Amino acid sequence: MIIAFEGIEGSGRTTHLNIAKKYLEEEGYGVITFGLQMSKLMGERIRQVKKNIVFERRTLFLAYVTDLADQMENVVKPSIESGFIALADGYILTLLSWGLIRGLELNWMKDVLSIFPEPKITFSLISSPEEVIKRIIKRDGYLDPLKVGIDICIREDVFNAFQEYAEKFQKYLVDLSKDKAIVVNTTNSIEEVKKEIVMHIENI
Amino acid sequence: MRGILIAFEGIDGSGKSSQASLLKDWIGLRRDVYLTEWNSSEWIHDIIKEAKKKNMLTPITFSLIHATDFSDRYEKYILPMFKSGFVVICDRYIYTAYVRDSVRGVSLDWVKKLYSFAIKPDFTFYIRIGAETALNRLKKARKTIKPQEAGSDIFPNLDPEEGFLKYQSLITEAYDKISKENNFIELDGNKNPREIQMEIRSKIGELIDNSF
Repeated sequence: MIIAFEGIEGSGRTTHLNIAKKYLEEEGYGVITFGLQMSKLMGERIRQVKKNIVFERRTLFLAYVTDLADQMENVVKPSIESGFIALADGYILTLLSWGLIRGLELNWMKDVLSIFPEPKITFSLISSPEEVIKRIIKRDGYLDPLKVGIDICIREDVFNAFQEYAEKFQKYLVDLSKDKAIVVNTTNSIEEVKKEIVMHIENI
Repeated sequence: MRGILIAFEGIDGSGKSSQASLLKDWIGLRRDVYLTEWNSSEWIHDIIKEAKKKNMLTPITFSLIHATDFSDRYEKYILPMFKSGFVVICDRYIYTAYVRDSVRGVSLDWVKKLYSFAIKPDFTFYIRIGAETALNRLKKARKTIKPQEAGSDIFPNLDPEEGFLKYQSLITEAYDKISKENNFIELDGNKNPREIQMEIRSKIGELIDNSF
């Protein structure tokens, strides 16, 4: 089965995925992780060319999908078939939110993404834009315009740009999560978030 | 002045690239023209090449990576040029993906949706030729058949010539199936190149001449 952690950069996706991974492993499950920009085929290359194609939204979307499909076909599917739990660091709802905010058609994206299996559980992680920005700055040292949606918000100020970006992104993510995903607010302490996540995966 | 989109389709060795290039030169005397080839995006092309060499692609990733390549050229060149009044000639267009992906077992319905963002060509010239004739032509022009022309990913155990015949015949069948619904203009690839070119020019001549 797939358990998906969805959310914007800095929402705590990777942190909580790793905590859940540790928890599941201690419970005796075999776990693999995959996610956006992590494939052998495209992951590194997307990072390299992103600044050149940042305004080619459809292309970038398709590149992300290709990247995910490569992992799905070569790693995730075989692992799931042999009983592993696959944790996704960014999956369908993250890509949809990313595309919606850039004006791509929801139906088109859903059609393209229909090749991917539905997750057993999806967590949509949200937090306040200020908190998210603080986390990115702590991790990277600064706000990288390419990571914070500069292509949709041309503003003189990266903070305002990202604040607006994060608000819109997370609004889309929460909307998409209705009946599909468990929205988890990661502004709470790591321990509290862990409890909430574990509550949902302890009896899988 | 409105843009015009012209697509060329056909199996490898059908002569469509020469026709596309002849047409480009002719139109170039009258209008701004741009020619783009399948699988030629600056940054994806070499990923595809490398992946094919290492046999990394499955039917789905084969399909998606070519769609990414197409989308890159579409957003960067085809659409802006078309909108600004160029005549854009595509040596292979979305129909190449329809046939190549469906031959590899990907749902045609899904592939159509994947490419639904692309505008439909004003003219799609489908140069139809038997796989055997195409093979003989390619053999005359160069010594070896490329693995992708022989469908080596789906027929890994056939020698290149056998693979070519089998693969290109499947592609032809797939083209024939979609020809009508996509208004292909079928041209007999057995005619000599000059005759074919004249037919193409006469089909589009009126539109080009009246567009000044």
